[in-house]
Amino acid sequence: MNTAKTTLRRQNKAQRLERVARLARGKFVSPDKVPEVLKRIIEPGDRLCLEGDNQKQADFLANQLATLDKKDMSDIHLVMSCITLPAHIQLFKKGMIRQVDFCYAGPQGTAVADFVKAKMFPVGAIHTYNELYARYYIDLTPRVALIAAAQADRKGNLFLAANTEETPAIVEPTAFSDGIVFAQVNEIVDKLPRIDIPADQVDLVVQAPYPMHLQALFTRDPAAITDVQVLMAMVALRGIYEKYEVQSLNHGVGFNTAAIELLLPTYAERLGLKGKICKYWMVNPLPTMIPAIEAGWVESVFAVGGEVGMERYTAARSDIFFTGRDGSFHSNRAMGQLAGHYAIDMFIGASLQIDVNGNSSTVSKNRITGFGGAPNMGCQPTGRRHPTKAWLKAGAEANPGPGSPPGRKLVVQMVETFQAGRVPTFVEQLDAAEPSIRKALHGVTPVMIYGDDVTHIVTEEGIANLAACRSIAERQAAIRAVAGYTPVGLKRKKRETEELRRRGIVQLPEDVGVRPAEASRSLLAAQDIKGLVRWSNGLYDPPPQFVDW
Amino acid sequence: MEKFAKAFPSKPLAAKTAKPWALAGVVGSGNLEVLLERGGRPSDTMECHVETSIPGYKASWLAALADFAHNYPAGGTKVTINDQGAPPVLVNLRLRQAYDHLIKGDK
Repeated sequence: MNTAKTTLRRQNKAQRLERVARLARGKFVSPDKVPEVLKRIIEPGDRLCLEGDNQKQADFLANQLATLDKKDMSDIHLVMSCITLPAHIQLFKKGMIRQVDFCYAGPQGTAVADFVKAKMFPVGAIHTYNELYARYYIDLTPRVALIAAAQADRKGNLFLAANTEETPAIVEPTAFSDGIVFAQVNEIVDKLPRIDIPADQVDLVVQAPYPMHLQALFTRDPAAITDVQVLMAMVALRGIYEKYEVQSLNHGVGFNTAAIELLLPTYAERLGLKGKICKYWMVNPLPTMIPAIEAGWVESVFAVGGEVGMERYTAARSDIFFTGRDGSFHSNRAMGQLAGHYAIDMFIGASLQIDVNGNSSTVSKNRITGFGGAPNMGCQPTGRRHPTKAWLKAGAEANPGPGSPPGRKLVVQMVETFQAGRVPTFVEQLDAAEPSIRKALHGVTPVMIYGDDVTHIVTEEGIANLAACRSIAERQAAIRAVAGYTPVGLKRKKRETEELRRRGIVQLPEDVGVRPAEASRSLLAAQDIKGLVRWSNGLYDPPPQFVDW
Repeated sequence: MEKFAKAFPSKPLAAKTAKPWALAGVVGSGNLEVLLERGGRPSDTMECHVETSIPGYKASWLAALADFAHNYPAGGTKVTINDQGAPPVLVNLRLRQAYDHLIKGDK
């Protein structure tokens, strides 16, 4: 008997759509019919993808899904980048989920930690973004995908506006494997500004009664940047950006890197670095980038997502940002992460915990957050072959062996030695190594960035050049040397630290030419959100929670 | 509230400094003030007086001050610190700023 698989999946898709034919007008479903439609298109055992990353959410569809009962939907393998909404948690509480594969659980990190403690969290793995998107094409292809778009036209073409994010990475593998793509849209119009997803990849559309949730995730108020963060920014600029002539880069989310952005038109300009560093960016449209862009520092910015309030500004700076033919901002999470993996000199970001070997994590015993995109960029891409000045210089320093690439991406962790509430950033062992967490993750410790990938750690104490260390013991000593007065730092030995400093592996602010007396907020190009609006010539529209005037 | 004093070995301060004393930071919630003065004390020790609103961190304070005295020639100075719960990461910056002002002046 021939047991080869043929076209059963296509037939099954047709049956599912047939079951909802009477509930819809063509592709279009009215909001009150959505629960019934979901019941009929999802089958037990399905792999179900809910769109939602750390910014954009298909929240109407998720909320409708959460109104179903276990008899309507069960044995579901959930694949989604972010467990973000209370509705997502409901699905677990109702016992509908057989397995979940995801990346990030930001706002629901506490709920996820509670599930892990209760042994009620059937997780396959916590992924990085591109790793999960890649598996959508291999062994985690969605059967049904619930996605979000800004607008649909009458045929079901979709416009994604500034927040394209991960929509194409979900739609393509689903649509091209006879899966069902169901989109919620903010509005249905006669003519779209541009087509981001063609109608023949979309099966069902609902105009949601409320616009999709968009989180302003990357907005940092310059008013909250401290003198210490300014000092660290100065140290990073001189000791890393200037030293390696970093031309292409990604900045993580945080006040440390926001301080660097705001020092470009002031401090770095005075150092004569304009045109030498920070020209090409893979980063979301950060409001704190506005002064550097206006001062002519930036050649181009590609983004994984949009940022609320930056729509008019980015449209008016289309020489720098990628924009559609309608003139408005375009992003793409999968391609942005790919760019950040292969095509940049440096990734620089912060973390909550760093262990004595340089591994970092944002997981604590009571909060399991996962990864997002940092590890896709904060790693050595050994598939890289093209040289740049920074890549070769960092590579030479790392003393490559006969079987190593000649270059190295700069992977920089920039942290204060203590978090708020006097919680040490540096620890002997990560909270993520907790046995119950490792057990839930099938023996994997959820490390954000591996110590072997990190080239530098910057703290308020100075810089540790881990890439230049020649042994594990040396790396540990270099980390202790910049770990300040945390328990990890207090264990350093004066002799060792001095030897590392003599060899330039550990550098104090003064060693890279930074004058601590200058480390003051007054160096920032903008002092607050209002200052950013001014720099933007009124084109930046900060979200209400950031407006106090 | 906790108060303590200790002297640390340090190489002598430069014979000439821009100012006889220097101040960095302000006494306010979450901040601290460091006063650094030249004085007639032994030229190979840095004399420290700390008053902090948050007790229990004496060991960290002493370690930070010992490192500072070791890394910078500050012998013959008196350091007075008034702390109103500043984050620990700010201590070293304010010390360095006061020292910088003492040696090179305010500009």
